[in-house]
Amino acid sequence: MAPQPPKYSTVSIPYTLHDRIEKMISKKTGFKSVSDYVTYVLREVVAMHESKEVPEPFTVKDVEEIKSRLKALGYL
Amino acid sequence: MMMKRKIAVIGLDSVPPEMMFQKLLDKLPNIKRMYERGIHGSLETCHPPITVPAWMVMMTGKNPGKLGIYGFRHRRGFSYNDGYIVNSTSVKEKTVWEILSEHGKSSIVLGVPPGYPPKQVKNCNIVSCFITPGIEKTFTHPQELKDEVLEVSGGNYIFDVTFRTENREKIKEELFEMTSKRFDVAEYLAQTKPWDFFVMHEIGFDRLHHAFWKFFDPSHPKYVKGTQYEKLDEEYYRFVDERIGRLLEIFGEECITFLLSDHGSKGMSGAFCVNQWLEAEGYLRFKKKPQTVLDFDKAEVDWERTSAWGWGGYYARIFFNVRGREKNGVIDPERLEDEKKKLSQKISSIKDNSGRKMKNLVLEPERIYGVASGDKPDLMVYFDDLNWRSAGTVGHPSLYLFENDTGPDDSVHSMNGIFLVYDPKKRDLSLDGNGAKELEGARIEDIAPTLLELFGLDGVKDKKELFVGMDGRTLSSVIRALD
Repeated sequence: MAPQPPKYSTVSIPYTLHDRIEKMISKKTGFKSVSDYVTYVLREVVAMHESKEVPEPFTVKDVEEIKSRLKALGYL
Repeated sequence: MMMKRKIAVIGLDSVPPEMMFQKLLDKLPNIKRMYERGIHGSLETCHPPITVPAWMVMMTGKNPGKLGIYGFRHRRGFSYNDGYIVNSTSVKEKTVWEILSEHGKSSIVLGVPPGYPPKQVKNCNIVSCFITPGIEKTFTHPQELKDEVLEVSGGNYIFDVTFRTENREKIKEELFEMTSKRFDVAEYLAQTKPWDFFVMHEIGFDRLHHAFWKFFDPSHPKYVKGTQYEKLDEEYYRFVDERIGRLLEIFGEECITFLLSDHGSKGMSGAFCVNQWLEAEGYLRFKKKPQTVLDFDKAEVDWERTSAWGWGGYYARIFFNVRGREKNGVIDPERLEDEKKKLSQKISSIKDNSGRKMKNLVLEPERIYGVASGDKPDLMVYFDDLNWRSAGTVGHPSLYLFENDTGPDDSVHSMNGIFLVYDPKKRDLSLDGNGAKELEGARIEDIAPTLLELFGLDGVKDKKELFVGMDGRTLSSVIRALD
């Protein structure tokens, strides 16, 4: 039987960031390790970049406020 | 040789050459020094001459059609009333700092619009722009930079002034406070973060012009003489000049500094009610005629009998109601081109309130840009060389308004901004080696390719690739002068 390709690869991150993540996840449940956390975050970020839909950055309230600001300035 | 130097761009929104290089130059010691030793000129802006898209045209080298950005607000697709505010995610083309980042160079980007939400760009420290809803949002990249910005600005960084013109003292006070904090942050970033390229944007000039122009310009149609704001232009420009002087000290001898604006300003003649005019010409019909002043999207439009409508702003956007495109479209798609021509001719013959023919300009996005992507209008209209703004609101007793329909306003935009470049190592920059200091023909699209050329980017095998798709060209006489 052909050997299975490896499931994981090693990625380097700065020690300072590693330590910050370790400290952070020790206070919260759900992440077993730094690798676990980094995998989760990267999946989210990569999915966002792969998606053509860019999330709307403004809330409905933001839009109303910006519109009234732009109106007062004569831009609308 | 160039690549070892730093480059800074100080962006001053809305500053016209007549103010900076003529009326006020003698009052501005630091800018005067830059002017006398450097190279200056007018910087012709893009169509439309509006902050968004102009700064992105400057920083990508690509025209608004390629960017697909035509103003602060766009309609969504072909809807009648659904719109969205343009933001940083609307910009799909690469900016100078994104290209530099790919080549290992570091940048500081402070307030360049549209800069919210701040993009995540490697080697960059970014603070978002005046469109940011508030300091409670994530407005920096990296995120932790936000705490530093807030600390430097006393806990309350100000993105924009609250524009309520009935209280001009308050605007004045906020204007100076906002700009002071912006320059505090600029100084902090320039001193504490690594950078090869520094770019900042100050919106205060635009707000000063819109709120106070009629108090300091005797040629303004509604000039008000002798108020406490008579010399506010001088006061504010001097204030910024002093801060620019401090920044130049921090930038040091190794930095080449550009002072640029995205468009100019001039006194406003009035506002022309584009939708009421379209109604009078039979293009637009209401189910119920507005009896009071209303935003257009609040009016009861009879879409099944309407063939065109417009948006307000410093220029008018005109949309046709096309069958198969808009929900209740009435114009045959095959007739659209003819309709555009007919309406353009009618717009060209509009007269002002005194019966004088306005110098109107009608632009078609596809024709002026080559490519017009995104949510573009069918036509773009400048009323009387931009002296009249477009009022989208309806229900006015006349087609002509002498106040902004959404509040008092004093200035409109003009097509020329400023260009000034200064190299502290060269006391007498000249375009021809013979003392020529005035650059002619510079356009806003030329800035990005010129900056990239100055950086050299020696590692790039095919430099031409950097400029693919750019509408600007490098300002070679400036590059030669700086070399």
